[in-house]
Amino acid sequence: MNSFAIAQPKSMSEASRIVSDKKYSLVVIKAGGIDLIDHLKEGLIAPDVVVNVRRLQSDKELIKVSEGEIRIDAVATLADIVSSAALRAACPALVQSVENAASPAVRNVASAAGNLLQRPRCWYYRNEQFNCLKKGGATCFAVEGENRYHAIFGDGPCHIVHPSNLAPAFFVTDATVHMVGAEHPSLPIRYLYHMPDKGVRSESNLPPGAVITHITCKPVKASGFYAIKEKQSFDWPVAAAAVALEMDGNTITKATVCAGAVAPIPWELRNVAGALRGVDVSNDAALTKACAAAAVGAKPMTDNAYKAKLLPVAVKRAVLLAAGKKLEVES
Amino acid sequence: MIKTDVAPTLAGGPTLIPTDMPTTNRPMNMGQSMDDNTSRLDGVAKITGAAKYSSDMLLPNAVFARFVRCPFGAANLETVDDSAARKVPGVIDIEITPKACTYNGQPVGHVVAESPVAVNRALKALKLNWKKDSVKTSIRDTKQVGLLKGNAPDADVTIRAVYSTPVQTHSSLETHGGVVDHKGDKATVYASTQGTFSVRDGFGDALSLKGSDFEVVCEYVGGGFGSKLGGPGKELMLAAKLSQKLKRPAYVMCNRAEEHLDTGNRPSSVTSVWLSLKKDGSVVGGEVMTYGGVGVANGGGGCNVPSGRYTFANVNKSHEDVSFNAGGPRAFRAPGRPQGAFAEELMLDEAAAELGMDPLALKRKLAIDDVYREMLDQGAKLIGWGERKANGSQTSVMRTGFGVGIAGWGSASPGGNAEVVIHPDGSVESRTGTQDIGTGQRTTMGICTADAIGIPLSMVTVQIGRSSLPPGPGSGGSVTSPTTAPTMMNAATQARTKLFEVLARQGGDNAADFTVKDGVVLKRGEKFLSWKDACAKLPADGVMGSASTGDGGKGNSQGVQFVKVVVDCETGIIYPKHVIAIQSCGRVICRKTAESQIIGGVIQGLSYGMFENRILDRNVGAMVNPNLEWYKILGPCEMPHIEPVLWAHGQTGVKALGEPPTIPTAGALACAVFNAIGAPVRHLPLTPDKVLSALEGARS
Repeated sequence: MNSFAIAQPKSMSEASRIVSDKKYSLVVIKAGGIDLIDHLKEGLIAPDVVVNVRRLQSDKELIKVSEGEIRIDAVATLADIVSSAALRAACPALVQSVENAASPAVRNVASAAGNLLQRPRCWYYRNEQFNCLKKGGATCFAVEGENRYHAIFGDGPCHIVHPSNLAPAFFVTDATVHMVGAEHPSLPIRYLYHMPDKGVRSESNLPPGAVITHITCKPVKASGFYAIKEKQSFDWPVAAAAVALEMDGNTITKATVCAGAVAPIPWELRNVAGALRGVDVSNDAALTKACAAAAVGAKPMTDNAYKAKLLPVAVKRAVLLAAGKKLEVES
Repeated sequence: MIKTDVAPTLAGGPTLIPTDMPTTNRPMNMGQSMDDNTSRLDGVAKITGAAKYSSDMLLPNAVFARFVRCPFGAANLETVDDSAARKVPGVIDIEITPKACTYNGQPVGHVVAESPVAVNRALKALKLNWKKDSVKTSIRDTKQVGLLKGNAPDADVTIRAVYSTPVQTHSSLETHGGVVDHKGDKATVYASTQGTFSVRDGFGDALSLKGSDFEVVCEYVGGGFGSKLGGPGKELMLAAKLSQKLKRPAYVMCNRAEEHLDTGNRPSSVTSVWLSLKKDGSVVGGEVMTYGGVGVANGGGGCNVPSGRYTFANVNKSHEDVSFNAGGPRAFRAPGRPQGAFAEELMLDEAAAELGMDPLALKRKLAIDDVYREMLDQGAKLIGWGERKANGSQTSVMRTGFGVGIAGWGSASPGGNAEVVIHPDGSVESRTGTQDIGTGQRTTMGICTADAIGIPLSMVTVQIGRSSLPPGPGSGGSVTSPTTAPTMMNAATQARTKLFEVLARQGGDNAADFTVKDGVVLKRGEKFLSWKDACAKLPADGVMGSASTGDGGKGNSQGVQFVKVVVDCETGIIYPKHVIAIQSCGRVICRKTAESQIIGGVIQGLSYGMFENRILDRNVGAMVNPNLEWYKILGPCEMPHIEPVLWAHGQTGVKALGEPPTIPTAGALACAVFNAIGAPVRHLPLTPDKVLSALEGARS
């Protein structure tokens, strides 16, 4: 780890000015610092300035739930999100997406914006020894190597999976990311990320110098999120799904479905959304059939075909949660 | 002592840590031990940080070093350019020898510097030109292992299968290494070791000192499980060399990645078997071919199947160790046993399914003695075996399964020494150089001393983990308590006799007239003096008893474990729910640390069964998960209700307890999963992908 200066700005705008200052070679933002510390420890980045924004709330309330809009501050922690009863009532998917993420200790410091912008957990990217595409190398080692936790969607050339649980939940609730230091002060979350063929060194489309201040989305009471993890304590999902529904009784009239942990970006499943339209959620066979569409188009690698089996299950369980059903499974 | 049921708070205020927290949830074990209530004596020190481990020894003026290691499974270090690294501020020296390496993590030299940061910067600044070679990364890269042909002519059923287990790395919480503080004519070695005396003896001439001129100190060990047995490892040898050369303390501890790569492991295994049985369940023939995946080592890959715990007639066994490009094995809690028990228990359940028998009935029939049968009967009641449904008969998403496995362990004690000093102020010192690797050695030594003399434990101070104390055994093979407990009791008894002799001389009595009960000295059965007043009659130096013995506990420890799981058949995820772990270990000294050993063995076994797996990149041979993020271990959410049962029936002496409780767990877990889903998963770890594939196989 190299020495670096800590900047303690008074506002997000000031943070943005420091990030944009050309006299530094690498300036990074620190909110919770979870992903940052991982990068520093592995020697993946060597910033000369770390800008601490952890205490810079853009509003006096970290989480605001009103009739037509939810507003979550960039520095709200995952624990803040989990403990907000108003948020749980108004938009369950957001709470469900992070209530079992990482560990209680991490949730107490990890921020909402940091969760959205965390870098992928790919074991080749995270290991200094492997000079992979993402680090300027010539190879995605997962293609011929160990890919059990890699993507089943996308055409490469890099096969990471998107690590954020909040992102798919925000995706199905039409979230918008608000920032300072950018020409356009807001960006719908569906445009926040790009596929590896549009730039393999980064995952987000956040303009240089921009700093997220808050995220807004619409409250969707009929929303749900379900992650399948090999290990229930502090593990990353192998398949996850967020669902937002419009219902007429037990029948789905409209669905939005987005998967996590299966593609380099939050992966919208439009075919599943289409298949779910008109499905009665109490009809298990019909629901299972509609959700099976989640695996359509998957292109598993040598060791991760199982993820294509798991994704429809995650979708189905997210749908049931969104429809207000209690899952009769262990957790 | 503070009595409380409430978890204490450490934030501000007095430290309210209960030292005698009741564990009333295990009533079946009460009254089975010499001491039912004492919590480990160093528990508070350990959780508050007051206990200093070798890795905590940041001595003034110390230098820090790390090895330069091969980043690939096979590569030739052709050229070294260390010019930039040498310019890193704080770097003292760099020594690298170009050579051909055959595993990821193999040292080729070292960097020594004024701080750990400088070491790491220098390592990054090195320009090493490696020429990669092709690699083999598993048993199956080298060996074609298929189904074996054959069957016994009089068999009613013959099963045929291949089982495999992955490499389980050691990854001790306190990594490998230590600190050497060489002062020219004497030295102190702070080692993280399972063998204080084997470290001392293992230095040979490396410190240029006689063994009596330096002290090895190891008061606390953050995990060893076999990997810290024997002499000083390469880390301490490097520290010894640097400390002598630079005349400064030298600190060499592995980081987490190095810990996974180069400090040993439980080797992988592949077992191919056919087993013929009669309708009544008797085994009438078979063949077992096992392979041990030993990385760059040439041996050490034994896979203990058949285990000898079941009666098998005419079953032949052969074994072969297979080398490839990876770090080699090292002793690991019951070497060879868990991998063997996994294959053995699951193959018997598969045979039982073929025969239409309850696997418990089959194992009960085949178990070699009645102790196992009694344990199986008792355990079946405790787990609720009667609720077990036939294999594959459940159709719900969440399916419940039951499994059972058995364990055995015998070890001969190597002998050891102990001293007990009774001081005129009534305090008692209990001394043996043997280390406490987390098992509770410090506590059991105190209990043995207090019990043998007849005084409260609070009067006893225990000194352990120093080579200047009486030599004791290395903690391997579950011999520590069987060796040190009787030795310490002998020493304490002798010290007490010397006290009686002093009292007898002063009053014209016989030493045999005295005894001690509950801290009161009795003469011919009547209260004579309080312990303190009696000790006040001692000369200023007090009295010392010492004992040497090679005759610790002998004979077998036996155990059975029942595992109940729920399997989510849509996701393939296993939820362990309940484990009954019945274990004999002779006379129990300290109930809580004994229970803790059993619980720990179960946890380690479940972790092995469900998650642990060294994953090597198949192309370059580098470990892709040398961390605790992707090298997954059991966490709090996976933890079932674990009930240790101390089997006191017919038990004498102090016998092995460290190793046996981890032997049957993964096997019993696999049997439980087989019961739940109706198809065996024959390859550890039991991850969702394999469970789903097995389910698909069962459906088709």
